[in-house]
Amino acid sequence: MTEALFSGMDQLFTLPTMLTMLLGVVAGVIASAIPGFTITMAIVLTLPLTFTMDPLQGIATMLAVYVGGYSGGLISAALLGIPGTPSSVATTFDAFPMARNGEPGRALALGVWASFFGALVSAIILIIAAPPLAMIAVKLGAWEYFSLIIFAMTVVASLVGRSMLKGLMTGLLGLFIATVGADPMMGVARFTFDFDLLANGFPFLVVLIGIFAVSQLLQEVEDAEQTKRGKQLIPANVAFKPLDALRETLSYPVNLIRSSLVGVFIGAVPGAGGSIANLLAYDQAKRASKTPEKFGTGAPEGVIASESGNSATSGGGLIPMIALGIPGSAVDAVLMASLMVHGIGIGPRLILDHGDLVYGMFMAMLLAAFMVLVVCLFSMRLFLRVTDVPRSVIVPVVLVCCVIGAFALNNRITDIYLLLGVGIFGYILSKLDYPLAPLVLGVILGPIAETNLRRALMTDENWMLFFTRPISLILLILAVVSVVFAIRHHLRQQPSEKTT
Amino acid sequence: MSSQAPSQQTRSSGRVADTNARRANALAHLVLNGILAALFVALFVHAGALPSSAWEPLGSGSFPRLVLAVLILINLAIMIHEWRRYRTEKAAAPGLVKRWLWRHRLAFGVLALFALYIAGVPALGFRLASLLFLALAQLMLGVRRPRSLAIAAVIAVTFSFGIDWLFRDVFIISLPRGPFS
Repeated sequence: MTEALFSGMDQLFTLPTMLTMLLGVVAGVIASAIPGFTITMAIVLTLPLTFTMDPLQGIATMLAVYVGGYSGGLISAALLGIPGTPSSVATTFDAFPMARNGEPGRALALGVWASFFGALVSAIILIIAAPPLAMIAVKLGAWEYFSLIIFAMTVVASLVGRSMLKGLMTGLLGLFIATVGADPMMGVARFTFDFDLLANGFPFLVVLIGIFAVSQLLQEVEDAEQTKRGKQLIPANVAFKPLDALRETLSYPVNLIRSSLVGVFIGAVPGAGGSIANLLAYDQAKRASKTPEKFGTGAPEGVIASESGNSATSGGGLIPMIALGIPGSAVDAVLMASLMVHGIGIGPRLILDHGDLVYGMFMAMLLAAFMVLVVCLFSMRLFLRVTDVPRSVIVPVVLVCCVIGAFALNNRITDIYLLLGVGIFGYILSKLDYPLAPLVLGVILGPIAETNLRRALMTDENWMLFFTRPISLILLILAVVSVVFAIRHHLRQQPSEKTT
Repeated sequence: MSSQAPSQQTRSSGRVADTNARRANALAHLVLNGILAALFVALFVHAGALPSSAWEPLGSGSFPRLVLAVLILINLAIMIHEWRRYRTEKAAAPGLVKRWLWRHRLAFGVLALFALYIAGVPALGFRLASLLFLALAQLMLGVRRPRSLAIAAVIAVTFSFGIDWLFRDVFIISLPRGPFS
């Protein structure tokens, strides 16, 4: 092991590799800061550029884009209120209000440090526990997956805002939206009504951009009109104090570690990933907080939880890929493809046959986390200049970026029509005080829930297996506890809201 | 410093100030949830016709039907709640809709322009449609002074022709061309 580790480090710490990694980090941060431009797209675009590189240099460059991407989503989430990637949805809940309260620098600095610690924790766990954690993840059958999704769905209960019914409505609407298109088991077309647009279902990214970006931008225009409070999107204040933010981030050690562990675990479960981890980490932080009522208004705990949670999935996702050859997400699948291009077989023998490469990848994760930190700390002042850009520029430019993001995903013109439709619908929902985050969660979790429910019952028609298999039972109990706590909390909050 | 975002403060204070809007808000809920409930009932019936499988106890339609059934119930529950609210609130003062539309004129204007832009992308191509959208939207949002107009023109060209070049020549992704490319 030591020999492989040193050999990997020897190959990694060369000028060309470190240079391409640095470029990868910068590209990942910038790409994810653009709404609609996902980490997956950035990785896919990087792949052809790595064909001529050595295997470790190629994969290290792609890992740099990957880790940079998780931090980049923070920028548009905090400064525009639009999640740059699905994994930064929860970051908008508190980072954006914090920025609107006149502290954009604090929001970004907290996010940068939280992202760094999340990536650091995940890289350390990856190095120590990759093989045993992978074995736990692979033991999850369809029953456990379904129960895990049920548990994840209970997050909706804490994202519902003022009305539990409205939150449930949008969450279930998300589940329904995910059923449109080809049935995941039989391939039967469902609710497509012979429209080409619906043949492959609603593309998740288009729904995400439409729901969050279009409705958010229209609210911005509305606010500008009603408040007449300056032309800027958020109050111009480029104060960026990284050391203060570091102290503040470290003042929530439990939140930081818990959120990072949630990220690592969710990342290690194939099919889950950063888009779920940030919401789950946020939810757990809110439940554990002494001041949950401050969440959603610019609470630092919310920013820390979401950003450390999503960044930690980068290491977690590599666990099943390295130990078992199972990609945890689309990004991991592209990383696998890049190794296969170099003739490296993926599977349990990877660590035995190419130990230097695997340990080189582990070290590349660590190095990328440090590089992202340095790049972000030096470039955030530049990004904060976004606060000086007037709304009259930001709103149309971001709308154009949304159109590009929606189109470039599948090169389909119909996707931009869908973007408009979903955007208008999202605007109507937000005008009527419907929370939009549960809808996104429903769209993400819907296909996983349905596939595993049907797979479980196809294997054995006995429903009781959901309750008799220990891990499944534990997850279901956790889900019930989670709902009971959320309802209790909701009922307690209502009388206090009425008295104030 | 306030603990709430300025926009939230404005929205909530606006809500309190315009008590007339509560009845209209309840009516809007009744209309939206009524339409959604009817749509979900139709989809529930449609899902019943989806094929089942000999290999699994749940067919294609079971999971969507389960979700749709709960959605119908929730929509009905919201409608009952809003109907009660509608009956207890006082009637809105005349001209409420007109005032509301006037207050949202800029948002609706941008939305209409965005819809035209999306419709124009296949017809004019990405470059030209984006150029026109960016120029007109910036004008609509209040760019008036000569220096701002010059900056707006640079932004419009950069984010239409510049972005198109970046995607076509660097990322090898072709954005919609249109007849003038």
